[in-house]
Amino acid sequence: MSLRLGIALVGALLLTIVVGLVWMPYDPIAIDLVHPLSPPELKHWFGTDEFGRDVLSRSMLGARISVLLALATVALAIILGTALGLLAGYLRGWTDRLLMTLTDTVLAFPGILLALGLIAVLGSSDSSIILALATAYTPSVVRVVRGTVLSIREREFIEASRSAGDSALETMLRHVLPNILPPIVVLATSLFGWALLSESALSFLGVGVPPPAPTWGNMLSDSRPYMDVAGWLSIVPGLCIAGTLLGVNLLGDALRDRLDPRRLS
Amino acid sequence: MSSLAVCGALLSTCLPFRAHAEDGQPPRAPILRTRLNSDIVSTDPGTRRDENTDGVLLHIVEGLVGSREDGSVGPMLASHWTISPDGRVYTFALRPEVLFHNGAPLTAAEVVWSFQRYLKPETRWRCLDVFGPHGIARVLSVKALDPHTVEVTLDRPAPMFLTTLARADCGATGILHPDSVRADGSWVAPIGTGPFQLGEWRHNQFVQLKRFARYAALPGPRDGNVGGKHALVDELRFLVIPDSSAARAALVRGSLDVIDNLYPSDLMGIRGRKDLLFQSVPVLDCYSLLMQIKDPELRDVRIRTAIALTLDAPALTKAITGGTGTANNSPIPAASPFYHPVEARLRAVDVARARRLLEAAGYDGRPIKLVTSRRDPQMFDIAVVIQAMAARAGIHVQIDTVDWPAHLARYTTGDYQLMVESFSPRLDPALSFGLFIGDKRQEPRKTWDTPRSRELLEEAMRTADPAMRQTVFDQLTLDFLNEVPAVVLFNSARLSVVRAAVTGHQNWMSGQVRLWGVGLR
Amino acid sequence: MLGYIFKRLLLALPTLLLVAVGVFLLIRLIPGDPALVLLGNDADAASLAGMRADLGLDRPLPVQFLTWVEHAVRGDLGRSIVSGEPVSTLILNHFAVTAVVVLVAVTLATLLAITAGLVAAWRQNSSLDLAVVGAATVVLALPSFWLGLVMLLLFGVKLGWLPFVGYVPFSESAAEAALFLVMPIATLTITESGVLTRMMRASSIDVLQLDYVTHARAKGLAESTVLTRHVFPNAFAPTLTLVGLTLGHLLGGVAVIETVFTLPGLGRLMVDSVLSRDYPVVQGCLLFTAVVYVVVNLVVDLCYPIFDPRVTAR
Repeated sequence: MSLRLGIALVGALLLTIVVGLVWMPYDPIAIDLVHPLSPPELKHWFGTDEFGRDVLSRSMLGARISVLLALATVALAIILGTALGLLAGYLRGWTDRLLMTLTDTVLAFPGILLALGLIAVLGSSDSSIILALATAYTPSVVRVVRGTVLSIREREFIEASRSAGDSALETMLRHVLPNILPPIVVLATSLFGWALLSESALSFLGVGVPPPAPTWGNMLSDSRPYMDVAGWLSIVPGLCIAGTLLGVNLLGDALRDRLDPRRLS
Repeated sequence: MSSLAVCGALLSTCLPFRAHAEDGQPPRAPILRTRLNSDIVSTDPGTRRDENTDGVLLHIVEGLVGSREDGSVGPMLASHWTISPDGRVYTFALRPEVLFHNGAPLTAAEVVWSFQRYLKPETRWRCLDVFGPHGIARVLSVKALDPHTVEVTLDRPAPMFLTTLARADCGATGILHPDSVRADGSWVAPIGTGPFQLGEWRHNQFVQLKRFARYAALPGPRDGNVGGKHALVDELRFLVIPDSSAARAALVRGSLDVIDNLYPSDLMGIRGRKDLLFQSVPVLDCYSLLMQIKDPELRDVRIRTAIALTLDAPALTKAITGGTGTANNSPIPAASPFYHPVEARLRAVDVARARRLLEAAGYDGRPIKLVTSRRDPQMFDIAVVIQAMAARAGIHVQIDTVDWPAHLARYTTGDYQLMVESFSPRLDPALSFGLFIGDKRQEPRKTWDTPRSRELLEEAMRTADPAMRQTVFDQLTLDFLNEVPAVVLFNSARLSVVRAAVTGHQNWMSGQVRLWGVGLR
Repeated sequence: MLGYIFKRLLLALPTLLLVAVGVFLLIRLIPGDPALVLLGNDADAASLAGMRADLGLDRPLPVQFLTWVEHAVRGDLGRSIVSGEPVSTLILNHFAVTAVVVLVAVTLATLLAITAGLVAAWRQNSSLDLAVVGAATVVLALPSFWLGLVMLLLFGVKLGWLPFVGYVPFSESAAEAALFLVMPIATLTITESGVLTRMMRASSIDVLQLDYVTHARAKGLAESTVLTRHVFPNAFAPTLTLVGLTLGHLLGGVAVIETVFTLPGLGRLMVDSVLSRDYPVVQGCLLFTAVVYVVVNLVVDLCYPIFDPRVTAR
């Protein structure tokens, strides 16, 4: 039942994004200074914001931007983290020590602050946000991957591969990697949620995707001064974020259940 | 004792008001709570400062002169002064009844000491460079002629001398008692002469000012920074509340009495309430779009003019300030006495002409970056609107949002193509033009660097005659509109909201917070 | 045991050093000059140079770093550029606020999670279980600052039940201080309880299926005893790790919640000082949070054996 809900939510999200690629009720960045802050009605299903921009169109574009941003972050963090985690967990020794010290160092920085600092250095742009968030999340991936690698590196088929003369790299890629995929996939779904939330938190603190591009995060943050007169401005992006996260989490749960190592072995 | 008397006595101890005041004044409320959107940065006037700091400290310190309500200079600690025929020697007569917060009387010695301290580089007085090599004059000497007369000698006549002394951002050249510093010169706390004295400064939480009982007010009604400064409450508490929605909610709930400075967007939702009083007073500030003439994209005046022609100042102003601001294309603020028909002319929007100019100049649609910051939500909103308006002529503006320190850095070094900037109130038009005019080699932040504009500005600063100055300002305005080193968009209004029980609150065009003469029923 | 603690702390030193270097460089890489922020946009070159010299910013970077480190190990973290206050005082005062909010919230969230998770697992697939899982999943998806804003709007503004501005320290009035903290603590509790509940429920389900639980039941032990003495201690371990991670992370400051409720906590101090380029404060805060992080991790690891005797702290 929850799986179906998850599919429905994520499906709705994907549909919104796909439809948004070809059609949106209004131009999401066109301002209309004559009709600011109008409540939801037939002309504007979700109302307009302080510049008269259509909230529905902005939410649709925001879906695309927020989701792509989160996906890019997750992809970068997963690729980097898996590579480093594999190296650390499989090779052990000094490589492991060095990588774990680096990982701990980054983990010791409060995530928001690290992202804030990196974005301030790199300038406010999509790529700097992705880079900053990925940097903040890579250590978690490294830890999980390393932990899983540690637990399976002693297993028989790994031994077999080693005695057969495969190089470390070959063993890592051909035998270890496929077996650590399940926890990585599960982690990726959690990471997606965190990335989405973090982007909105960063926008909330004032360092998000630059205008006029809408993200759910900066729509939420821009709605603050108008919360009590234009509540829809806060509710719509908040629900979008919550709905997406809910769908992703439910799907992630279903994935985890199916990929449960106990079921696999 | 009758039970009624007992009840009465008990009741009067419960009331927050004192039943009888000693000095015959009406009963005073104990505390008036207001809000700062960021903590003050120091208690040393005119040194480490920002607008909030100036506002608070000007309740504590006063200078020889101060600003009147209409922006002109009036006597404060000096009862009157004479200027020598050659314009170089100022002789100030001090008011004999003034006391410092520590009880010591004001004498010429403290004035001389204060001036000398301001003129020392280590003090970091903000207006030191006005008396430096590129300034209006050098101070040759500050002398006490007798315990109540001070003589200041300049190296050349400077009609802007008193205006400079009165500047709020210079701490109004507040006269301090030497006990404000330690023997080694390090700062302790301001011992001034103002209607309030410094109580507790709990960093990032509040600044507490206490009424100075022996304050000697100038007679007459409240007038700018000088006249009729009566403290009607025992304590002022400036609470540091960065978040305006929280401040607004606190006011509604009764945890705050006065919010002195709100953005138009903050007014939403509380506009109609009967228990609050609203006030909108135009101030002498300036929101503008700065242009970097040295930038290859913007070197051509046709491109700059094209951008200016797409900007509908009245529509932009109405949208962003909710109708409280005044659209204005001249650096002289609309509320200034020098704002005449020449200054009031607004550039007409002409998108077609803009397109023709762009084509003639060979603009190829390349993105032009506009720097803004979120520190002031209006600055951010302006950028969004400019971007949309410029797009109508095919100008591709890209917004670069940076935080305040980065914004400051880029402003100071001129590192931008376009920048939204807001300037805090300047009480004299020469100072307003001075925000734009200057030698870029020495001050990269200035946008208008032409020999003619510099000459005209100097003339305005050298002249005392208002009619002659007006002619100069008119000419400067016309040149400004033709050469487009920047586009002035609007002057805002200071919006304040107070609880209905608050009496006597009145903003003025300097935009400076002023809480004497304000009481609580 | 002491040897283990000492060894762990020693191993953390390279991390702390790297954090120190990292934050030192990072904050200086951000464009913007603290001296300029102090003096404002009208400052002339001479005053700027003077202010930079005052702040020690004109000396070469390695010198600045070594001076800072040298003072830091003696406990002197310098003074704030913006306010002139000693950094250590600033940090401790702000940390106290954050610590109260975080510790209370995490404790409440953990208690809630333990109860809800255990009960949901015990009655797996019942409507109660579905409700718990549903609630936890929804809560996980809520942005914390949005929840905070809604609470502020509802309980603070519309209903006026709770105060939410003008933080009052406990030293002044415990009752008022407690009232101010109700909403931030509630927000944080709700936000954190989601993931903890799910974790507790998942591990409880696992443990409930194990043999010795069946044995315990077969022995005739009361269900409550089975749950509290056999299931809980074993199911709690993974949740404990998560609690530890959460604490270590949150004690570094919850900047968004502190911003929404204008609490003078460590998170806001860090964000504000980055945004005003207050170098000594940023550096001091990061060093402090890194130390807290190390200590919390250590404490969590040491607590492990209490819940699972099979795990011994090596």
